[in-house]
Amino acid sequence: METVLSISNISKRYGKIQAVSDLSLKVRQGQVFGILGPNGSGKTTTLSVILDLIKADSGTFRWFGNPPDKESRKRIGSVIESPNFYPYLSPVINMKIVADIKGHGHDDIDRVLRLTGLFDRRNTKFRTFSFGMKQRLAVASALLGNPEVLILDEPTNGLDPQGIAHIRELILMIAGQGTTIIIASHLLDEVQKVCSHVAVLSKGKKLFEGRVSEVLEISDSYELSSADMKILSDAIKTYPAFKSLVATQEKIQVYFASDVDPGELNQFLFQRGVTLTHLSERKRSLEQHFLELLENNK
Amino acid sequence: MIKLLQIEFRKILTYKIFWILVGLYFLFLSSGILLAEFIINSMVDDTNRHLPIPVPHVNIYFFPSIWQNITFFATIRYVLIFPAIIIIMLITNEFTYKTIRQNVINGMSKAEFLNSKLLIILLMSVVMTVLLGIGTLIIGFAHTSDLTISLVLEKSTFILGYFISLLTFLVYSMFFGFILRNTGLSIALFTLYVFIIEPILYYFLKSPLVFKNSIYTYLPVNSILRISEYPSMPVLKKVMGLNLQDSLSLGSCCIPLAYALLMIGIVFWVLKKKDL
Repeated sequence: METVLSISNISKRYGKIQAVSDLSLKVRQGQVFGILGPNGSGKTTTLSVILDLIKADSGTFRWFGNPPDKESRKRIGSVIESPNFYPYLSPVINMKIVADIKGHGHDDIDRVLRLTGLFDRRNTKFRTFSFGMKQRLAVASALLGNPEVLILDEPTNGLDPQGIAHIRELILMIAGQGTTIIIASHLLDEVQKVCSHVAVLSKGKKLFEGRVSEVLEISDSYELSSADMKILSDAIKTYPAFKSLVATQEKIQVYFASDVDPGELNQFLFQRGVTLTHLSERKRSLEQHFLELLENNK
Repeated sequence: MIKLLQIEFRKILTYKIFWILVGLYFLFLSSGILLAEFIINSMVDDTNRHLPIPVPHVNIYFFPSIWQNITFFATIRYVLIFPAIIIIMLITNEFTYKTIRQNVINGMSKAEFLNSKLLIILLMSVVMTVLLGIGTLIIGFAHTSDLTISLVLEKSTFILGYFISLLTFLVYSMFFGFILRNTGLSIALFTLYVFIIEPILYYFLKSPLVFKNSIYTYLPVNSILRISEYPSMPVLKKVMGLNLQDSLSLGSCCIPLAYALLMIGIVFWVLKKKDL
């Protein structure tokens, strides 16, 4: 698939703080790419670099295979940090300014305002908007003119649950049309729900990059319990794929080196005289993976 | 060019505070011009009470002197500061509301952004010059009895002086806005410079104890004020034999224009270098 964005070895330092450190990424067409990291991990700095707002100390990036210029930015719809609009102008006029800069007509404005549920407020000043509405207008402006790439920085920040669900639905719908989407978020849940690929950042470094589904498919532990915990723990240690276990009063958590079929596991233990009273697969969530990654990189 | 101006228009067309300030400026300028003669003459009356030989009343609204007089009144610091504050506000708003970032994200280059602000300054200067020219013609026709074309046009080049003065002063204010990026700070420092810092520098440099040359005439704001330094005063000329400025010297326009170009260059360079 065609590479939409490639970042090579970008670094940016603010005084003593290394905001981004030797970061390389590739985003391909049609991906919903999540940039996940805690606050201050360099997500917004990275997005600001690729949108020409700030200059990287070193490293390069390319949009659509070409060195970046203002024309490439016109093909991208983006929202960075906070919704930035003229507070004394109405949403319609704010949208017209965006369309004029991008060189589009104004015929798409009503559609994006309807999509984000702001059509009824199209003529009231931006200043009077609630934070959630401002955020939705930012998404609307990013969607204007059906850009090839959508960049969203914390798109559901400050929204109520209904608003969050609405924006996520919108993102999935747009992704369904084949638009490449890059989302920066500190919410795992968000990345898990909408992204196809993810890169995890911490202190400006990339810790991990891959398909979200691959990360989620790793089932690396089972919770077991039985009437006699002693026999159970002895028996499980003889299982071929056994790696390690953590025992508590009521149950033990067992880690395996490779994928394990719960049926086979149950049969194996039964043959050794263990009757399980509890068997559950513990899928490693992105959250655990994320926290583990952060923990390992302290 | 037209596209940038169109974008700029969208930004100000429904911006109430902008129009209120423009309206106030207009009110201030036109009432100042219309009341100037009355104010001067009441000052003359006041002085005459202490003088054995009374000074005659002045008449400033007749052709061709009116061109010089109106240009003089329209380019004093107190009048010029008004549109300068409007320009500072238009520029620093973009930083305060981070809309310059959004403009760049959406595909405007930093150079285009600067150009759009320069275009607004240019347009504002042209419109004000045209309005002032029309006003001068109307007032002049109403106050001059023996009209000939040559009499009407004699000193009309002063209106060009007004254009250069306003244009360069607005570029100076733009410079403060782009460099400081903060509305309050820019307005405060610009006003401080225009009304206090430069006048102090001026008198310091002018003092014969410091420099014997005319370096003081090269100060940025002072060089603008020198474009039309005095109102036209044929009376004073006759009575006291003073040799005051009588025509616009285009040479004096070069200094502020050079400063303006330098400032535009610096703004462009800083905008390129600095993160948004």
